[in-house]
Amino acid sequence: MARQFEVTRRDGAARLGTLRWQGQELATPSSFESKEELEFLNALTIHKAELDVAVITNLEEPRTERIDADVVILGGAVRFSDDPRGLTKALIGVRESTNPDSALYVPALATPNNVSLLVYAGVDLVDPIMAEVKAREGYLLFAEGERQFDAISRSHCLCDACSGVNVAELPPEQRVTILSAHNRQALKAELRVTRENIERGTLRDLVEGRCRAAPMLTALLRLLDEEHSYFERRSPIVRTATLLACSQESLNRPEILRFGERVIERLNKRDGILLLLPCSARKPYSRSRSHRTILKRLDNLRQFLHEAIVTSPIGIVPRGLEIMYPASNYDIPVTGKWTCDESEWVIGRLTQYLEANAFDTVVAHVSGPYREVCDEAAAALGVDLIHTVEDENILSSDSLQRLCAVAQELIAEFSPKRRDLRFDYLQDLADYEFGPHASTAIFAESPKVRGLFPTYYASDGRTRIATIAGKYCTLALTIEGARRYLGAIENRYCVRIDDFVPKGTVFAIGVLNADPEIRPFDEVIVLNDHVIAVGRALMSGWEMQASKRGAAVAVRHVEAR
Amino acid sequence: MKTARASSRCYPRQAASGASRHRTRANNRLAWTGWDLLNGEIVPSLTILLTTKGCFWARRDGCAMCGYIADANPDAQSSDIKKQLFEALALYGKAFKIVKLFTSGSFLDQEEVPVDVRDAILAALADTPRVIVESRPEFVTSEICGDVVRFNRHVEVAIGLETSNDQIRNGHINKGFAFRDFVRASKVAHSHGLTVKAYLLLKPPFLTELEAMEDAIQSTHEAAPHADTISLNLCNVQKGTLVEALWKKKLYRPPWLWTAVEVLKRVKPIATVICDPVGAGTARGPHNCGKCDRQVISEIKEFSLSQDCASFTATCADQLLWKYVLEFEKFSYGAPLVP
Repeated sequence: MARQFEVTRRDGAARLGTLRWQGQELATPSSFESKEELEFLNALTIHKAELDVAVITNLEEPRTERIDADVVILGGAVRFSDDPRGLTKALIGVRESTNPDSALYVPALATPNNVSLLVYAGVDLVDPIMAEVKAREGYLLFAEGERQFDAISRSHCLCDACSGVNVAELPPEQRVTILSAHNRQALKAELRVTRENIERGTLRDLVEGRCRAAPMLTALLRLLDEEHSYFERRSPIVRTATLLACSQESLNRPEILRFGERVIERLNKRDGILLLLPCSARKPYSRSRSHRTILKRLDNLRQFLHEAIVTSPIGIVPRGLEIMYPASNYDIPVTGKWTCDESEWVIGRLTQYLEANAFDTVVAHVSGPYREVCDEAAAALGVDLIHTVEDENILSSDSLQRLCAVAQELIAEFSPKRRDLRFDYLQDLADYEFGPHASTAIFAESPKVRGLFPTYYASDGRTRIATIAGKYCTLALTIEGARRYLGAIENRYCVRIDDFVPKGTVFAIGVLNADPEIRPFDEVIVLNDHVIAVGRALMSGWEMQASKRGAAVAVRHVEAR
Repeated sequence: MKTARASSRCYPRQAASGASRHRTRANNRLAWTGWDLLNGEIVPSLTILLTTKGCFWARRDGCAMCGYIADANPDAQSSDIKKQLFEALALYGKAFKIVKLFTSGSFLDQEEVPVDVRDAILAALADTPRVIVESRPEFVTSEICGDVVRFNRHVEVAIGLETSNDQIRNGHINKGFAFRDFVRASKVAHSHGLTVKAYLLLKPPFLTELEAMEDAIQSTHEAAPHADTISLNLCNVQKGTLVEALWKKKLYRPPWLWTAVEVLKRVKPIATVICDPVGAGTARGPHNCGKCDRQVISEIKEFSLSQDCASFTATCADQLLWKYVLEFEKFSYGAPLVP
């Protein structure tokens, strides 16, 4: 039977989709509305008909294969309404044991306050049952939290249900009618907000805000964050939306953890002289006033230095990755002070970075909290930093003068190789996106680099190999680049398709095999025995393999093999 | 605890929840007095708990909601059982119209209560107008009933039927007998001139509130022709039971008191139904929102004596929630909507 549910868009574990439901297209995440709809679904759990519906209640039961149904119901989910641990386990458990193109329905649990977080964890369908129950318990529900009605004589809400009515004066039945109308409307509105945030790629920011109202939800978000691999395997490699790191939980966002991991695990080992610089409000950093001033002053000396930016909450950003999400696109509250969590996190990243590379010496052109962080990391490793900032001002002429003097001295002492800085960007992006040694494979004989920041491109003189392109500033391979990569590294970031010539979009149904490392918006190589193509993944590699519906890859170029 | 001090009130089965019963024993309260209905009259009653080696079914397998086996004494001797009875009688006298002997098992099971003990106890109560003993149906045989009436002609056998639905009784409760076993036992008892009381369980596990309500009403209809009295027992969460394990996982909630009221109102025309809400008003017992519980509990007790629906006058805003729960709980797919 054809699948009745299709995921059309993803933001981490959250999805936008369409469910063919009672002859119509239901845009998910969504809430069932009427009792008739609930009855209809209930009947489908007993007699299979146009929709395949499965109920999972016992999650401890061992399963050998993924449950394959159009709609999967997490039975008795309401038992977890005060149990963030149980809910985390249940949501992750049910999602991991069902097919990605099954819609997950969590009954009788959603409120306007928690629904964005449920969707963030991978829920597609909810209902207004808890909103109705809360109305009968005397609660007005808002996206920002709930309020016992006793505490306020008049709802300050302007929704259709509330306006102009003094609910406190009404008899119980009428009061319940109004509270439930309000609660249902609030749930519906929040689902709209949630869908819009998925579209924009900002659901996490919404969720971090919403969970403030309830310790249970904050606990739930923190526990979900401990399920790093579940979310990382679903998180896009890039976004256009700015990542807002406004809370303690932001430090544990899957994108931030992944960036940190890849800087250590994927980039080529570096040696020579490392220059540490503080981050800037403007991104990419090299476009900011502070960096422009420093870089202009260093001028040609830069070709002998490796630059890395110290920042919260990303940690360490090598210069070549400053155009990569999330380093390219984040914002944090700036107070001049760092919290213990922030400092600890950045110290950890810097320590790892210094350990993973083999720098001869480290220059730190930083002040304030940055300086403390750098000192602590250096102390932990027993490394001596050379500080170049005088009087706490990184842009003062004394500081800049000292920086240049120190750089000159060190270059004379260690005589590092001169590099084309534009090539740094291409190399770092290649390794970050395609894994360790990808840059060596793709750019084997040092290529010609051209282009204006940040859209550099590399060619071997006549044929273009790779370009930094698009709104995401990722490294896109040409067919030539793909052939070079394949020649050295087989299968990684490859999608094997059935025997057809891909045009435009490759759908999941046509995918035979895909590298499970592929993430949404990754650059991938598509191939079968006859053709080779390059394109952008639209879903994760493991999902391409498990799904029967949905667009898997947007293909850019195709050639015969 | 309520149960220990309310000795002058009607309590067909006082101190039945695991916790309160335990305390009762610790306080050495193995008997208490109350008021009950006898042939339409409200009369004084005496309830005596007899510690035996426990229910044979509980020792072998056990029911989902029953934790009484924890109070049994595996080493109970014949003399102990007799001693318990006579101590109670000595303490309270013999002036009661109703005496209830609860072993938390089967009084008619010769393994549990040896024949000589049984006969001595029955003989001692030969003048009491109503002696109520409890038994599983398999022990209600013609032979045993014949023996019983030789010593006492006023015995009522109370049988834990729980529900007339075999699927629920065995699949949900694990009771281990069929409705036809109860019908047979009832016929046998009646043929010897004994009367029969049927215990029905309101809200066995794995049922929604509405299913539980409908099951209790249906069961009353089906059991009434075979029972002289029906006792509606509201399920409570006893220690060490399956029901407790489900309750801890929030997969079980004891029945709403409103559900009990609704069942009593609906079955009033067809049977004499009594109800003692044990442990009511607590999380482990049948409860409502907390505000109206006390009133509804006392109205249920009042109804048990008066058999008059006019006893039910309470109203509370939580009835709207209860009605919603009845209608929508099945859509939660396995968990109660509210604690």
